[in-house]
Amino acid sequence: MTLKKRYLRVTNLLFLILIAVQFLPNKITTETKTSYVICVSIALEVLVLVVSAFLKKPQGLNLFLDIIGFLFVILIAWTLATAKFNLLKESLFPPPGRVIWQFLDDIDKIIVNICSSLGIIVEGYLIATVVAIPLGLFIGWSVRLGSAATYISKFLSAIPPIVYIPYGIALLPTFRSVSVMVIFLASFWPIFASTMSGVMNVEGKLIDSAKVLNTNRFTMLFSVILPASLPQIFIGCNQGLTVSFILLTSAEMIGAQDGMGYYVKNYSDFGDYTRTIVGIIVIGIVVVAISFLFNRLQKYLLRWKR
Amino acid sequence: MSKIEIQNLSVDYREKNNCFTALDNVSFSVEAGEFVSVIGSSGCGKSTLLSVLEGINTPTSGAVLIDGNEIHGTGTDRGVVFQHYSLFPWMTARKNVAFGVKQSKKGLPKAERLKFADDFLDRVGLEEFKNKYPSQLSGGMQQRVAIARALAMDTDILLMDEPFGAIDTKNRTILQELLLKLWEGDGTQEKKTVIFVTHDIDEAILLSDRIVMMTTSPGRVYKEITVPFDRPRNRAELVQTVQYGKFRNELQSLFYSDIASKIGGDEVVL
Repeated sequence: MTLKKRYLRVTNLLFLILIAVQFLPNKITTETKTSYVICVSIALEVLVLVVSAFLKKPQGLNLFLDIIGFLFVILIAWTLATAKFNLLKESLFPPPGRVIWQFLDDIDKIIVNICSSLGIIVEGYLIATVVAIPLGLFIGWSVRLGSAATYISKFLSAIPPIVYIPYGIALLPTFRSVSVMVIFLASFWPIFASTMSGVMNVEGKLIDSAKVLNTNRFTMLFSVILPASLPQIFIGCNQGLTVSFILLTSAEMIGAQDGMGYYVKNYSDFGDYTRTIVGIIVIGIVVVAISFLFNRLQKYLLRWKR
Repeated sequence: MSKIEIQNLSVDYREKNNCFTALDNVSFSVEAGEFVSVIGSSGCGKSTLLSVLEGINTPTSGAVLIDGNEIHGTGTDRGVVFQHYSLFPWMTARKNVAFGVKQSKKGLPKAERLKFADDFLDRVGLEEFKNKYPSQLSGGMQQRVAIARALAMDTDILLMDEPFGAIDTKNRTILQELLLKLWEGDGTQEKKTVIFVTHDIDEAILLSDRIVMMTTSPGRVYKEITVPFDRPRNRAELVQTVQYGKFRNELQSLFYSDIASKIGGDEVVL
């Protein structure tokens, strides 16, 4: 790639526009904290230049530049619509600088809330995975139980797990344990069902080939059936994870004392829409980060697939 | 060294109210260290026969004896190579072979299992590909790994169900010669007892000591023919001899006369 191709990019142009826009006169009366937008933009641009210098693959570079460019466009539009032209209702839509400032100011509170939410997800989800996969393997492998269990799990997985909350509250001591239970139920059924369908659809020739190697029941289940059904199992795991996030955030908005859902709901009740937007953006970033890591894990474990 | 005796073996498949006889009273035996091909057109039950020997299928009546003991189910005394690639796609070539070794030699340390696997992958010419997954290998290479796995299990008996049936002609030739070389060895080791299912006459002649020819529906033994050529065999020299051509023609006419008699006329176009 020539130097010109490497550095003369739309993204860099957008950066300059973004900086220029910040120096237009403000139209709103409240603080805009413009310097925070400038700092974040410069940090992103430095990142862009470093990546442009070191990333060798043109496709990866293009993707990265496009994403940052998109971010710049949003920041430009956001700045113009709020601070510079005051097109949106000021109390509901704070300018980007104030959101960034609020995020940094609240960072320790946010980290505590993220940890609380993730703790519940990890706990409920891990218990579901550890129970659902072996159970799905055993039941799917036994032909008679398998076909009955398919119908039963179809029925039970159709029930939105949020309806169990009243029972959870009646039976369990804390809101946290109720949340863990709901996450467990929400992820258990999709993982269990996909494990079973994975097991039932393992190719006969693979099973024969394992049989002639004289595998015992344990080796058959965990060294042959489990890896063979792993692509299918991951579909259920993905589904369970998505549902877990949706459910937990909703549950936190209803009755929790911490967590990201609580953060958003609590501050919007008090009319603090700067913090509400901080919360929404943070939830987005956390979910994207988790699914990125999860995809990585999936790609690694299924690296043998063509 | 193991002798295989197949005694009055019958297999019926029941589907709803239909009863289909795949094998009807099949009997023959294979001496220890003998290479026997089972040949017949598709549907003659040769794969069913092999699945009974593998222990995957149970016979309706009759028995299979190995060294005088009746077999029940699968066993580590028999190595198997299927027609369709039977490798585990989530294991590398090396792990696939090592898995076979682990099953047949319980308690062998991991390092030695891998050494065994490497050794046998070398023998089938795949030393450079041992860390590849099956999806990264061609069909012929996958079959080489399957052969390496069966050989590495160090069984006395090798059962091969049309192992080269899905491979192109050129690679099939190469694999046949590789198998011939590995089985004949350098003459010092004991030879494995092999039952090799195929529908390719040339393949059967090149590889076997004896050929068992089967007829279709129901599957029965039609003829047993001894292959009269000395070992070690060399394909290029063998196919040029007059005896080879004559023997091949005899076999072929036997093969087709059976089909003609089944259809009930001599106007068979093949």
